[in-house]
Amino acid sequence: MGIEAFGETLEELFVHAACALRTVVLGEVQGEAERSEAVELRADGPEALMVDWLSEVLFLLESRGLCPLEFHIESIDDEARLKASVKGVDFRPGEHSIEREVKAVTWHRLEVAPHEQGWRAVVYLDL
Amino acid sequence: MNVKVEKIDACRWRIPKEGDMRTEGLVFASEAMIHALMQEKALEQVRNVATLPGIVGPSLAMPDIHWGYGFPIGGVAAFSEQEGVVSPGGVGYDINCGVRLLAGSLHLEELLPVQAPLADLLFRNVPSGVGSTRSDFRLTKGQERRVLLDGARWAVREGFGTDADLDHIEEGGVILGADPELISDRALERGRSQLGTLGSGNHFLEVQKVDRIFDARAAEVLGLFEGQITVSIHTGSRGLGYQICDDHLRLMQAASRKYGIHLPDRQLCCAPLTSPEGKQYLAAMAAGANFAFANRQMITAWVRESFSRIFGKGQEQIRMRLIYDVCHNIAKWEEHEVAGRMQRLCVHRKGATRAFAPGHPKTPSAFAEVGQPVLIPGDMGRSSCVLVGTQKAMEETFGSSCHGAGRVLSRHAAKKVSRGRDPVAELAKRGILIRASSRATVAEEISEAYKDVNEVVEVMQQAGLAKIVARLRPLIVVKG
Repeated sequence: MGIEAFGETLEELFVHAACALRTVVLGEVQGEAERSEAVELRADGPEALMVDWLSEVLFLLESRGLCPLEFHIESIDDEARLKASVKGVDFRPGEHSIEREVKAVTWHRLEVAPHEQGWRAVVYLDL
Repeated sequence: MNVKVEKIDACRWRIPKEGDMRTEGLVFASEAMIHALMQEKALEQVRNVATLPGIVGPSLAMPDIHWGYGFPIGGVAAFSEQEGVVSPGGVGYDINCGVRLLAGSLHLEELLPVQAPLADLLFRNVPSGVGSTRSDFRLTKGQERRVLLDGARWAVREGFGTDADLDHIEEGGVILGADPELISDRALERGRSQLGTLGSGNHFLEVQKVDRIFDARAAEVLGLFEGQITVSIHTGSRGLGYQICDDHLRLMQAASRKYGIHLPDRQLCCAPLTSPEGKQYLAAMAAGANFAFANRQMITAWVRESFSRIFGKGQEQIRMRLIYDVCHNIAKWEEHEVAGRMQRLCVHRKGATRAFAPGHPKTPSAFAEVGQPVLIPGDMGRSSCVLVGTQKAMEETFGSSCHGAGRVLSRHAAKKVSRGRDPVAELAKRGILIRASSRATVAEEISEAYKDVNEVVEVMQQAGLAKIVARLRPLIVVKG
């Protein structure tokens, strides 16, 4: 399954891509955030960084039980270093459900590139 | 790219060796299937695999072939020890995704009165993943290390099943040469939270009845009879395996450049089998495979407990035996005859099943007369099949067969088709109870999304690569 995201800035693009991933996995989720996880990543470029970022969001859900509600990208610099926080709640069965289990964020037809009004990303997920 | 295809016979098609291909492609498919395949990219992927260094024999495709990452799903390729490569894309993200079949003494008439409570209990007792785990099982780091080394043997030592089960698992339930030190902390953490879980998507646990016997003698040897209750468990290495693949795809992209391997597709990244990167991937993959063997063994124990509780009988009375457990995403060292002499080859099976012949040393001795069982799950609304391997498979496909039905609709398309329908109710009307965590998953797994497994099996039969023994029909489907 592919997701396509847009953003005026690279930071906004990464937020929107994470939101798209969340929708694929969890459907619509709402609520007030109760916990936060800091994320710091470094990659070879924006495409690799996108794979790492989305993989991190998945990991936080799957292994740390964080159901994400908000994504805050503090910065992405020219050396593809990302600082962010993911805020959400503990995953609660009954209240939350996994709509689709994503095995991996893949490199297939991966794109993170400037677009008309900012940036565009295309990412394929292995379900 | 339009891939040229030449007909060999009713179920064999050649992709001729051209351009940068080092060998030809060989596709097992019916005429209708090959025309459908020409509309999509899977044949291009068969062609791409044929460009890899050290490939021995053709780039093979089973009749359930469909597009995958790098290698097609349903692809088989063997590589020579000295000149060949190993590719994580030829195994898949879900290392040792596989299926096992249990069968016991219960008959359909005994199950029908308790079908619903059994479905509910299995759904409760076999966790699916996030938010669904057993409170009576926690894996420590030390234990996880043993799981990665010993696979199903670890699980049996911990009380999940018996030694008798191990003889009925491919490779005895453990691939030797695993190295837990090569597994990243991230993969290990994902593994600790997911050992003993089924997963979701096309993973499932299914209670079935033996609907029809096609080969009476083989069925007798396997221990199958008409009306018998069986159970299939389809799952793999969960997040640990996915992470191992992801970690090594990155390493392999660098390795491909380092060793000057031209890749028509980035996701075919690979390394020479003789290189440190190649050896490390195989050792890490073995660890992932062992995790999957342990996973299926643990789930088997919980299935047996559930049956025992529902029927109020001891497990010795119900005798839910393990018939066989097969991998269908794996790369293994195997000995095969090539041009008259035995060669040690690294055989990649991605969405393909080993199908060894009668009398082969690796075919369980209990089944030596008839061949290694080959378990082919269909979709949740139709049927699954039990086959056995043949000598023809050894000669043509390195002892390989198909693994399932193969998708024909994307998840998005399947969801569109099921709009306005209630797949759960539709199945219930046909006597199939489904218990699933997600209605989205059920919608995306409807029968129309898959080829008919009988058509796939028919091609295998016609080609002489496997022989059908029995057909199973679902009664209960449990999905994450």
